[in-house]
Amino acid sequence: MDLLLLAATALGAIGLYLMLPRERAPLVRIGTLLGAMALAGFFLFLVRSVEQNIGATAPDVSTRPPLVFYVFAAIMIGGAVGVVCQPKPVYAALYFVLVTLAGAGVLVLLMAEFMAIVLIIIYAGAILVTYVFVIMLASQGSSPSEGGGTGGDVKAPAYDRRASSSFSAVFVSFVLVGAVLQVLLPTHGPIATRNASLINPMAAMMVQSVGITSNPQPAGTVGQPSMGVEATTKNATGIEPIAPSNVQLLGASLYSQYSLSLELAGILLTIALVGSVVIARKNVDVDTESLGTGKVPVE
Amino acid sequence: MSQMELYHYLALGAILFAIGLVGFLARRNMIMMFLCTEIMFQGVAINLVAFSRFHMNPSGQSFMIFLLTIAAAEASLALGLVILLFRRRETLNVDEWSEMQG
Repeated sequence: MDLLLLAATALGAIGLYLMLPRERAPLVRIGTLLGAMALAGFFLFLVRSVEQNIGATAPDVSTRPPLVFYVFAAIMIGGAVGVVCQPKPVYAALYFVLVTLAGAGVLVLLMAEFMAIVLIIIYAGAILVTYVFVIMLASQGSSPSEGGGTGGDVKAPAYDRRASSSFSAVFVSFVLVGAVLQVLLPTHGPIATRNASLINPMAAMMVQSVGITSNPQPAGTVGQPSMGVEATTKNATGIEPIAPSNVQLLGASLYSQYSLSLELAGILLTIALVGSVVIARKNVDVDTESLGTGKVPVE
Repeated sequence: MSQMELYHYLALGAILFAIGLVGFLARRNMIMMFLCTEIMFQGVAINLVAFSRFHMNPSGQSFMIFLLTIAAAEASLALGLVILLFRRRETLNVDEWSEMQG
């Protein structure tokens, strides 16, 4: 195993272990320092791998993501560590918003703008709001039985201030991440990307739409044979054919290739909606006599 | 996009998944456990979209739509269960329910 990768993984594991909430005060500063060193180690490992790999790749293929990616990745990882290590659930939810926003940035870098917007709307807008609602509903910081303080500063309950079996959790997870990073490391240059546009007509369209071809010709002349009926008919009417956008490609894929799955997803959402209402509802004894009389039924 | 660039995104996804796994295994608050699964979902989502970009195939993004569907369904059901359990015992501690392991 690569020594730098091993060191970075171990440092990250120790840092996360120190930052997890526990009985004594967690060593947040030392943990943050070790975590930052681990991130720097991962960064150096990636840079070194890029440099070792650069001879094997074709010159027109990018070998590393733009620098902004590293910024977004650092924000995501830092936010995730914040979620895991924050004793108070509300702050953890706010850290999760940070993770979601940085994740949307990473998706934009991957040319998936629609998914980035959807991620923000669904995660930060819907799921997170549900979480915050439940945190408010089920908060028990003021109940003295669980060790919550009754003073002005409400302390988190005991089970939030203490993580159980944190050593084994950190060990398992970071052995997993070290193994995955080591195994996935590419040992040879790109094979699949070179000819992807020749194999898959949809890939050719996507290449056009994201504009990664180094061909300086206008878009209409490059991929005309593979663009299908719509482009040629548009061309016949004198309108310049427009390369399909990411959303168009996604819609074509969803409603042709995965249309049945899409219906099933809708059914699943309906079932989950009904199920959650049934699960979470209180057993209210409905007084049948008071129905329709405007009286509020008493629990 | 080369394999090396793809590797960056896969590494980010793997690290996010691992951090979420740590949280799921170590935290005792039921709400926090499910919040950590959402982090794991995000790591997987980045993997899917990165492969979609690598293979120039929009199927990966379609899968991310389904992943978001599953995440929403999971969140609603899980939070309904959390509210139900909280009403029974007035605590979010998952150790209180350890007799449910059978």
